[in-house]
Amino acid sequence: MLDEPGYAGLGPRIPLREMMPVPRLAGAVWLRNARVFSKLWRGALLPTFLDPFLYLLALGFGLGTYIANINGIPYKEFIAPGLIASAAMWSSAFETTYNVYFRMNELRLYDNVLSTPVEVQDVVAGDLAWSASRATIYGLVVLAVVAIFGLISSWWALLIPPFVVIGSICFSVIGYTFTTLIPKIDLYSYFFTLGITPMFLFSGLFFPFSQLPDWVHVVAWFMPLYHLVEITRGLATGPEFWSVVGNAAWLAALSALLFTIPVRALRKKLVA
Amino acid sequence: MAVRDRAHDQQRPGAGGGELTDSPAVSASGLTKSYGERVAVAGIDFAVEPGICFGFLGPNGAGKTTTMKMIYGLATIDGGDLDVLGMDASRERREIKSRLGVVPQETNLDGDLTVRENLLQQARYFGIDAAKATERATELLDFSLLSDRGNERIHALSGGMKRRLLISRALMGDPELVVLDEPTTGLDPQARLAVWNALDRLRRRGVTLIITTHYMEEAERLCDRLVIMDEGRIVAEGRPSDLVRSHVGREVLELKLDADCDAERLVGSLDGRIQGHDLSERTLMLYADNAEAVLEGLDHDVFPTESALVRRATLEDVFLRLTGRSLRE
Repeated sequence: MLDEPGYAGLGPRIPLREMMPVPRLAGAVWLRNARVFSKLWRGALLPTFLDPFLYLLALGFGLGTYIANINGIPYKEFIAPGLIASAAMWSSAFETTYNVYFRMNELRLYDNVLSTPVEVQDVVAGDLAWSASRATIYGLVVLAVVAIFGLISSWWALLIPPFVVIGSICFSVIGYTFTTLIPKIDLYSYFFTLGITPMFLFSGLFFPFSQLPDWVHVVAWFMPLYHLVEITRGLATGPEFWSVVGNAAWLAALSALLFTIPVRALRKKLVA
Repeated sequence: MAVRDRAHDQQRPGAGGGELTDSPAVSASGLTKSYGERVAVAGIDFAVEPGICFGFLGPNGAGKTTTMKMIYGLATIDGGDLDVLGMDASRERREIKSRLGVVPQETNLDGDLTVRENLLQQARYFGIDAAKATERATELLDFSLLSDRGNERIHALSGGMKRRLLISRALMGDPELVVLDEPTTGLDPQARLAVWNALDRLRRRGVTLIITTHYMEEAERLCDRLVIMDEGRIVAEGRPSDLVRSHVGREVLELKLDADCDAERLVGSLDGRIQGHDLSERTLMLYADNAEAVLEGLDHDVFPTESALVRRATLEDVFLRLTGRSLRE
């Protein structure tokens, strides 16, 4: 029972008024996660520094030596802003899968939280807000690293953080939705192998789509990471206003659309 | 509910609980709950007066925990009415939970936080401001005899300490009603006594307690009133001492029968002198107000026994009479 919580299903529709989290209580959920992170952050953040460093080393300075320019910019400058976006994605994906799963099914923390005035929508909102906060911290660490390497060429890059927040919320909702719907922990390997890793490789982070057939563009358009990479690369190299707005709107819309699913599924699972 | 009504009828006049001056802290009528095909709670009625300790007894799977979960909002209600602190449990969950404390059956303390942090975090879930939370945490660490353990990690605590901390955590929101699901299961006698003392202190403060247990001596010691549940129904209701007297009598004669002793004939020969009997393998329980007299009147040549024991009747006898002696899994 503890190891396999089982598939609870989506659960009945919930009126919109009951979907609205209470900010103070969602904040309490956020604060618990932040408090625990604050005890562990030194160990947790170090790989985040190393990760983009290794990618830059292997791809930017290694492979990049053989690639002159992409769309007129050096290869390492081409991939650097995308690494900010992918760091946020990886962080969101881990936080809302394994970490949430562990809190929910192993520590059984939510049984206690839900017997206080906190309701399911507050838990989901608080957890998502935390996951997005953590992912933003990770993204900003990478931003700092690539800036130190001199790979950011536009002052517009200062606007990157709020868009990393928007993107991280979107990644987090997707991971959280998956967590509330899966019957057992083994299924995360599918989530990563068929979802996160392909998105990492094929979202235009490592190569541009301009020379590729149209259907590649269509597929990419459905990937959240593609939209965040478009934003961070745009801001790091000098943005087109409508492109940034359009991509951010796409990420925000998907987040809002999906939010109801984990709330319904988690209520079904924990308040049966 | 025929069985429940009988329990009421047998209650002696004037022996019932205090007068119902306040409206009940919790009241249920026709409350039902199923999980798929399995009926967990099959239409129960009860009322808990404010300020008392009210017990739910029953074998595993009787529906006690499900009933508790419906009270504190972690299980939906399929049918009937459930009022908690004057509010509808299926609609006003958040409001009810803000005035309620819960001690769950499973220890679900936050292992990533210290003892004190567990209490402070609980205060945040109740929207209590930081200064007030710090004050209450100190007070409640004292209450649960954990003052010198505040900065320790959860896994450094013993089972009894964890249970006391769970009780303190349930009190962070300053509840009017505390629901405790098997609060002493798995504890050693000293740890159990410490929990009982904590619950006594709470009741003296006027907090209403609802507790589930399958320890009969715990129910006799703690509960002002209780119900016995079996297979989702309430099979008896009343004060512990009244239940013992009405279902069993004052005393029990416990006979271990020889292999060639005819139990049925033995019981038949005592017609009118006993209030009832139960046979479990070769052990025969005879319930009577004066068991010594029954033993003296017994012809040991006709009914040979290995041993005979006269003892005071307890709630355990009532429990086993009403819920049977076979194993429940």
